[in-house]
Amino acid sequence: MIIESFNHKMAAHCESGTLTALIKHKGLEIKEPMIFGLGSGLYFGYLSRTPNLSFPMFILRTKPGKLRKKLAKRTDIKFKTQRFKDQEKAEVELDRLIGEDVPVACQVDFYYMDYIPQWERVHANIHFITIVGKEGDEYIVSDSYYPKLARIHKDNLRKARFAGGYLAPKGFMYYIESVPESIDYKKLIPVAIKNTINNMIGVQPPFIGVRGIRTFAKKLQGWPNLTRDIDHLSHEVMKINVFLEDQGTGGGGFRFLYATFLRQASEILNNKDLDEMSKKMMEIGDGWRNISYFAAKIGKNRDLGSEKLQELGQLLNERADAEAKFYNELKVVVNNI
Amino acid sequence: MKEKDAYIEYEPQQLIMYVEKEDGTFGPIQTGSFISKNYLDDFWEKMLKLRKSLLEKLKNNEITSVYFYKIIHDFNDVELARRAGIPVYKVKKHQKVKSFKNIRLSDLQKYAYAFDVPVSNLFQAVVVEDNENRAETELDKQPIIVKQIKTDNPNLVITKIEVNKK
Repeated sequence: MIIESFNHKMAAHCESGTLTALIKHKGLEIKEPMIFGLGSGLYFGYLSRTPNLSFPMFILRTKPGKLRKKLAKRTDIKFKTQRFKDQEKAEVELDRLIGEDVPVACQVDFYYMDYIPQWERVHANIHFITIVGKEGDEYIVSDSYYPKLARIHKDNLRKARFAGGYLAPKGFMYYIESVPESIDYKKLIPVAIKNTINNMIGVQPPFIGVRGIRTFAKKLQGWPNLTRDIDHLSHEVMKINVFLEDQGTGGGGFRFLYATFLRQASEILNNKDLDEMSKKMMEIGDGWRNISYFAAKIGKNRDLGSEKLQELGQLLNERADAEAKFYNELKVVVNNI
Repeated sequence: MKEKDAYIEYEPQQLIMYVEKEDGTFGPIQTGSFISKNYLDDFWEKMLKLRKSLLEKLKNNEITSVYFYKIIHDFNDVELARRAGIPVYKVKKHQKVKSFKNIRLSDLQKYAYAFDVPVSNLFQAVVVEDNENRAETELDKQPIIVKQIKTDNPNLVITKIEVNKK
């Protein structure tokens, strides 16, 4: 059976896309950028000391699950969440819910999503999909990164839901119990924006926010010492492009998505200053896109000497400067709302 | 980002990009992946090179299959330990050729699960010469297809070799 009323749509990001689809299915009209913005999803972090990572990486959004938690806290959307120790029980509960026409979001290891092209599939326990049906041994999947409904064998889904390691899903799943008739956007938008400003320029550890971008620029210079050979270095540098553009960001490392949120916020609040800020954020995103193109190019050409890495670091520092200026201006705008 | 600059024709990998549309509004478009369209060959070349060099070391008994798959899956020792449910000290030990010969079958099963391969693949490399230099994107064009079918016996896999009739 398939939950016919569920409307599958691709989305920029798996977590905000899954949330948007589930909330819409429950009857509340909302767009993905608004979910992302209201959940204060924009972030930056340079992770070099996480014991589970084989190589330093940077993140551009808050920790998986935070978006949903913040939405739950800030709005009257009621989520029912469950984790399981027993794999059998997890499957029975999932089957029960979809049998009752309830679409269910599951946290999975992306690697096992075998409908996705092989080159995209990496081990990352932070992917969210929505299960919208089951036929025989296959589940019907709505995945924000896939143009149509997909199918996954139950054994593969089980492996994906119970993969071990960093941020192990432990069978985590959720669905929406109820949504309010409307959301008090005028009250929530300033709160959400202030939270993002704090994440980016507030008092944070040196690897978080704008300071994190500068740390990245600096630490990048030491990457040749961390790699096996030039191919490995090239692979890691080219992953900068993947993290910024391909891994569900909406482009420019989530900056285009956030710009769209600010545009929507300016329309709701009828605030021209916010509209100006949305344009500035779009430009900031363009700068991140340039970085991703540059990283791909030097990676492909194996042009990875210290001069090129310094140039890349300089581009990152320019983003840090632009973002620091932006959030300080946004602070003034939001304080005047 | 302007809408006109965002379109990339690449059907195998589609994604959603937020752009400034021609009428000045901001919104989503469905487009193709820039890096996959332009640099996928380079990615496969690197992966193939890595696999070959690791296989060579494996053949020469310089590394163990645990190390081989750890690198292929881009795990570090801690991540592999957590995924396989084996203590980190043992994971380190199992990557040493000298210690690997004393490995337990139960640990091999755990590694096989974490690497998503049959247990037997920790002792064999299935290589089809005609397929060797082809990118994984061309899987359906390979002349020979190797299928490994799970059985109810966790230690037994059926390896089927078929001629691709496509």
